[in-house]
Amino acid sequence: MQERMTGFRCKDCSRLHYPRHARCLSCKGTDFEEVELGNECKLLTYTKLYVLPEGIEMSPLLLGIVEFPNGVRALGQLKGDDIKVGLRLRPRWGKLRTLGEKDIYGFRFEQ
Amino acid sequence: MLVAGGEKMTHVDTNVITGIVATLSQPDVEYVHGVTLPSLAAMFTRLYMQHHGVTEKHLAMVAAKNHANALKNPYAHLQKAVTIKEIMNSVMIADPLRLYHCCPISDGAAAVVLCPADVAKKYSDAPVRIAGFGQATDTHAVHEREDPTVLKAVQLASKQAFEMAGLRPSDIDVAELHDAFAILEIAQSEDAGFFRKGEGAKALEEGKTALDGELPINPSGGLKARGHPIGATGVAQIIELAWQLRGEAKERQVSGAKRAYCCNFGGFGNNVVTHILERMD
Repeated sequence: MQERMTGFRCKDCSRLHYPRHARCLSCKGTDFEEVELGNECKLLTYTKLYVLPEGIEMSPLLLGIVEFPNGVRALGQLKGDDIKVGLRLRPRWGKLRTLGEKDIYGFRFEQ
Repeated sequence: MLVAGGEKMTHVDTNVITGIVATLSQPDVEYVHGVTLPSLAAMFTRLYMQHHGVTEKHLAMVAAKNHANALKNPYAHLQKAVTIKEIMNSVMIADPLRLYHCCPISDGAAAVVLCPADVAKKYSDAPVRIAGFGQATDTHAVHEREDPTVLKAVQLASKQAFEMAGLRPSDIDVAELHDAFAILEIAQSEDAGFFRKGEGAKALEEGKTALDGELPINPSGGLKARGHPIGATGVAQIIELAWQLRGEAKERQVSGAKRAYCCNFGGFGNNVVTHILERMD
């Protein structure tokens, strides 16, 4: 289990990335340090998905894009009763889906 | 040289094909979460509605227009007129996207013959010239884009094509855009340079993109109604524009079309190819 959601800061120009890239999107640097993204983010956009791919149990599936205070964004599943743009959410580790026989874990965003 | 494209998609169940197409998304930070192309389009649509005043009715207007155009295209997959009301009451796929805001799952194939311009008259009485083309990429993950409502690869690839052709967006008479989802026709019409950002929906409302408008978009019916057999779509777009430029598009002919623009998409705008075509006479 991973406790904290992390991003990757370019050691040359400080640009923060999520996910990690082989080369920095701004300066093409190759050295990164892992930094915590924090425990609070804001919902920018979302959808309730009714036509699901295989291996997803939640129906409808709530998906959204969040932004952390440092400006980094991430996409993930959402959990909450009254989902709307601007909502404050927290990243929480858990099982996301199955792919083939395999259980896939990752961060989702919860109220 | 023969350029051909084709795809067979209808022989598997919808959720299976949706899962296969979803593998186009970023594997580590999109696909694993259950992302599908309709879900990316839905999140993009919601952002567009917030920032650029697009409404559900605008999405329905794109779909109704393209269905009407496809009724005049014997090669279109969906041969069915739909009303704004039917579209706005159709089943929800990925809120706020409904069934009729999304392209169908299609089978199809398309091919064109390319040759050097100086011998083109040997093969066709009305050859069409490739005046310009462009190609550009954007981040694979949609959330990484500086402004996620901007299709940067469309902007860059369009700029390249217009520069190569020595033309401006106002020189174009007809366009085929990649309307896999209704919002993408509006967004591409802006990012290609035909309308200012945020004004694509207004242009649609004013009828500018209709078959008899200033800049008819998707006279073929677009991906929405001509259909979207993925590997065939790009070639099919070019063929429609070649017919338009030769004056062979019959009932859906854009009168006096001399120059055409085409935008094709890979993934959710992470790889974009544009073409500008013109009559050779």
